[in-house]
Amino acid sequence: MENKSPLSPHIQVYRWQISSLVSISHRITGIINIIAITLICLWISLIFLNESKFESINLLLSSKIGKFIILGITWSFSFQILSEIRHLIMDLGYGFELRTTKISGLIVIFGSVICTIIFFIIGKSFI
Amino acid sequence: MVQISLPEKSQIKKGKYFKDKTGSNNLKKVNVYRWDPSSGENPRIDTYEVDMDNCPSKVLDVLNKIKNEIDPTLAYRRSCAHGVCGSCAMNMAGKNGLACTTPHADIDGDIDIYPLPHLKVKKDLIGDLDGLYKQYQSIEPWLKSSSKSKVTEIFQSKEDRAKLDGAYECIMCACCSTSCPSYWWNGDKYLGPAVLLQAYRWIIDSRDEERQTRLKKVADELKLYRCHTILNCTSACPKGLNPAKAIAEIKKMLATANI
Repeated sequence: MENKSPLSPHIQVYRWQISSLVSISHRITGIINIIAITLICLWISLIFLNESKFESINLLLSSKIGKFIILGITWSFSFQILSEIRHLIMDLGYGFELRTTKISGLIVIFGSVICTIIFFIIGKSFI
Repeated sequence: MVQISLPEKSQIKKGKYFKDKTGSNNLKKVNVYRWDPSSGENPRIDTYEVDMDNCPSKVLDVLNKIKNEIDPTLAYRRSCAHGVCGSCAMNMAGKNGLACTTPHADIDGDIDIYPLPHLKVKKDLIGDLDGLYKQYQSIEPWLKSSSKSKVTEIFQSKEDRAKLDGAYECIMCACCSTSCPSYWWNGDKYLGPAVLLQAYRWIIDSRDEERQTRLKKVADELKLYRCHTILNCTSACPKGLNPAKAIAEIKKMLATANI
């Protein structure tokens, strides 16, 4: 009898809230960032080893796909930082009211996009 | 362990369709999760056409109407019908709440009704809450006082009493715990928002003398820190309480206290 009981549906039926969306994105961007940082470190260390290989990766990154990846990583970093600030404020015990969590969640989502655009414009002026 | 998909025996099949017999123009489709323990079949979704012209305002009224007028085999828990007992907690339109306090007018389109998420289903909309009650028992939810007299009352200042506001009102309907993804996947070890809110209620009670022991007991990687402030609990609570904040307060106490 006990083993026959089905498990009621969970993530299949539960509606996404802004807060749960920000929370799962925080985790996903966290994983992306760790991988990205590792790759960036490897790329930088190529300078000491082999200049031509460094150049070829440089070329790859200036292609359309490369630019998309760079923008993606910029967004991922922006999202992680903003979301982490939100978490730090929550760890201090503030911002738990339902309205506040919705607003802070929206700030993180839209703020990350705005940050990406700002970083893109700043970066463009350097090149 | 995180398991996204449902086990094979829990996969939901399409069920029966109950066509309207009243001839009403104001119909609403209600999709209800059904599972009959005696049949040995997979759960299914039955669809009922309900005449909304002759139906009171809450989702529980819709269910009562189905049970009384269309299909008496439907099983669900209900008792007080005004948000005090917590029996009719279920998942409506993708969000947990009490059927008796959720207006069906707030739901656009078809009304989808499921049992509370990630529970063993006993029948139809009835989930097995034994695990949650055992966890509730484990935090010893009663006043512990040894030094004070057993015959006279223990006084409490107005300020100390005010600290219990927002914690003592909990009716243990399990809406919050079963809305929490952390609790879905670590429900055997993680206490969950409902039980942690109650743990907090006894930790901050000025009359209780076992504060340190209570804090130590709850300070556990799995019991407490599986809360990642997803905040589904707070948005689900039908009583407007804030379990997420209570958990954050416990974490804060553990970070600042010397134990």
